[in-house]
Amino acid sequence: MKAAAVGFLLVVAASPAFGDACTGAETQLAVVFRDLARGEPASAEEALRPVVRDHPGCLDILLAEARIEAAKGDAANAGGMFVRYLQLAPEDPRGYTYFGRFLISQRQYQQADRISAAGLEKAPYDPGAMALRGQILDMRGESQQGLALLKQACQADPENGEAQFYLGTIFDRTRQPGEAVQHLQKAVSIDPHNARAWDYLALNLEPLGKEDVADEAYRKALAANIPGPNFDAFLDYNYGRFLMKRNQLAASKQHMDRAVELVPQVRAVWYERAKLDLRLLNYRQARIDAERAASLKDPAGIIIDLQIYSLLEKIYRHLGETDLARKYAELSRETPVPPRGDHR
Amino acid sequence: MLQQIFSRALALILLASSLSAAEPSHIRFENREKVSAVQFVLNNGTTPDKPIIDSTLGGVALLDYDNDGYLDIFFTNGARIPSLMKDGSSFSNRLYRNNHDGTFTDVTVRAGLGGAGYSMGVAAADYDNDGWTDLYVTGVNQNILYHNNGDGTFTDVTERTGMTGVSGGKKLWSVSAAWIDYDNDGLLDLFVVNYLDWTPENSHVCGPPGRRLSCPPSLYKGEADILYHNNGDGTFTDVSAATGITGQIGKGMGVAIADYDGDGWTDIFVANDNERNFLFRNRSGKGFDEVGVESSVAYTEDGVPVSSMGVDFRDWANDGRPGLFVTALGGETFPLYRNDGNGLFTAATYPADIGFTSFRMSGWGAGIYDFDNDGAKDLFSANSHVSENANLDSQQHYRQANAVFRNLGNGTFRDVSAEAGAAMRQRAAHRGCAFGDLNNDGKIDVVVSVIGGPPELLYNISTNNNHWITIQAIGVKSNRDGIGTRIKITGESGQVQYNHVTTAGSYASSSDKRVHFGLGSDTRIKEIELRWPGGKIQVLRDVKADQILKVTEP
Repeated sequence: MKAAAVGFLLVVAASPAFGDACTGAETQLAVVFRDLARGEPASAEEALRPVVRDHPGCLDILLAEARIEAAKGDAANAGGMFVRYLQLAPEDPRGYTYFGRFLISQRQYQQADRISAAGLEKAPYDPGAMALRGQILDMRGESQQGLALLKQACQADPENGEAQFYLGTIFDRTRQPGEAVQHLQKAVSIDPHNARAWDYLALNLEPLGKEDVADEAYRKALAANIPGPNFDAFLDYNYGRFLMKRNQLAASKQHMDRAVELVPQVRAVWYERAKLDLRLLNYRQARIDAERAASLKDPAGIIIDLQIYSLLEKIYRHLGETDLARKYAELSRETPVPPRGDHR
Repeated sequence: MLQQIFSRALALILLASSLSAAEPSHIRFENREKVSAVQFVLNNGTTPDKPIIDSTLGGVALLDYDNDGYLDIFFTNGARIPSLMKDGSSFSNRLYRNNHDGTFTDVTVRAGLGGAGYSMGVAAADYDNDGWTDLYVTGVNQNILYHNNGDGTFTDVTERTGMTGVSGGKKLWSVSAAWIDYDNDGLLDLFVVNYLDWTPENSHVCGPPGRRLSCPPSLYKGEADILYHNNGDGTFTDVSAATGITGQIGKGMGVAIADYDGDGWTDIFVANDNERNFLFRNRSGKGFDEVGVESSVAYTEDGVPVSSMGVDFRDWANDGRPGLFVTALGGETFPLYRNDGNGLFTAATYPADIGFTSFRMSGWGAGIYDFDNDGAKDLFSANSHVSENANLDSQQHYRQANAVFRNLGNGTFRDVSAEAGAAMRQRAAHRGCAFGDLNNDGKIDVVVSVIGGPPELLYNISTNNNHWITIQAIGVKSNRDGIGTRIKITGESGQVQYNHVTTAGSYASSSDKRVHFGLGSDTRIKEIELRWPGGKIQVLRDVKADQILKVTEP
């Protein structure tokens, strides 16, 4: 934790925007940026007040205020502030990085793409700029280039939590849990309040057979998962699934119940709770949940139709609904199995 | 009835209390291949393009071909690609005679079992009830039935019997086979599991040049399985269509048999690669209904198929109902199914605590056997990834160590591989494996084939004072090997166990037909009940432990 704070200060102190007007405010600004990284805009705002009072000419105030507004959900105001900051400090790569991340959060991907490219052009070796550009390239499907930039960002500044986190999620997606864990462990050591990083870390510890460590990571994720822009709505789903695999069904139920409250539009959460209901021999509830899952679309293919049919067949059979069970047995037989990859 | 339930419950409590997760495992294996004089190397004839056949061979059989009371070993072998011909001795299938002293003698040439074509699996049984164990060898381009002449030699009777593996004018790629008396007529029939519509001409290439990977089965069409009915006159008839087998197109790799619903008719489970598994429920010997979906064994708990490869079908839960253990690829887990007794199975992979561990394994051979003779059947898997170049991915190693999961007697297992001796830490390209007692010491040994290397002769050196019994069923009205006979034993402590006679199971392999039971501290068995496929029920009382007991059908 200490090492992370020192690292952050070094990055801030080295930034070009840190001119004379900010001298003396370094520590307070570090607190402001830390609170913002934790998704605590109110605390950041509070911490910023003395800087505004004592260092009114410090440009970092504008950058911090832009991020505070963004965190509070005032997108229009935040956008304007970021633009103004870039006009006043066009050489500061942080402006591009934070603005780019803000644009991603607003789903303004094309603008984020342009900003990230401009940021990297201004500061090709800035870890934040590399990390953002790497993320954008990955999102654009240019995975290899994105991966390379993110790796460079992590090498240039191992304390860049964003880069470590995003690189970890790429390894998660490509099913390389060993590599994912390395970067996600770093991410949570830099920012222990990053619930998503803890969640991803736990998910990737599971396939490595480190169930106890994964459990601990999930618990830390739950503790860090406070409402706000960084809230992880799928954490309860993931932890509920994990507990089901560990045969802690009652505890799993609590998290699955919460998951369906948090993301009721997602097929997977209803599907998994129906599976849990089945294990708990609660067939009526299983039916309700599975039918709800069947009614929802899953364009990402997380839970495919075949899985729904197979589950419904089991549930109807247990309920003695013979005709429905037969119908879904037939669908389970007839539904083609989606191919998986071009080799194995 | 109540008393029966109570005594069974008591036995389970006794068993569970004698086992625990914290208790150190006694299961140990030692690889004695180096002192065995077995000099076999499994040659897959691979080429730089890594055609899919090169990863799927490796059948092993443990059979007593010369009736001297000791298990001999038969290995299948590959061939040159693309000719699919055994054009050199390095491709020869091999038979090794057990010398009773831990060594073996290669008797392949004298036996006439060198084989032809690209061989895959093997199934051993006495199909003509003459008292000598015969062999059926499956392959990509040639299946061969060898009749045991009783004088150390075998005769290729494939053409005469009609068991060529050809269907609709085309030789299907056969992987595994199971001898089964499906109509209880006292004659063993043969179920042949077929995989993909692959030929050297339609072979796909996957992965970058120089680092080719095994292509997925989705690139090829699946094949129907074949059931041959034994006519009793030295010929067989393909009854696949008449019995409802032909209608099911799968990508079969493993097969195992058991009477899962206790109706007296043996059923068949087929492990399909990335397709739903089949459970063929025997319709009183008249045909089969495929009920994999209805029985909840077609897919995993997640409702998807996995790369099912090996399978065993035995009562791992000691509840009188055969359950299933299936091996699959890394990232999938090994499906384990508990038989609920009402025609339904429940996925038990995670409830039985083998989920997280098996997620990291790719398995081929599979077995449900009591390795420490404590009265609870354990699990064994022969492991390796499919693709030789899988090492390029840091999460998927081609060469993997085998695994043994100890049954804790409470519905869960513990991976005790790391404690089971150096042999169980040996990484290799393991494939098929067969189970049996090589030295008749009352402990189940395992012989595992290895692509590109010598096999592993894993002698069971588990150290404890537990007792055992091995039963050799000899059918009279039933088939001579007694295949399909269901055996229930009640130890002096009251513990009840179940198993049945079969040589089928694992991957492409054939195991000891004798049925082994661990007895824990019981030195006597109160009762042994045999339900013969012919319908007779035979009961033996007060039998002493630690013996190989031959039981002839009355």
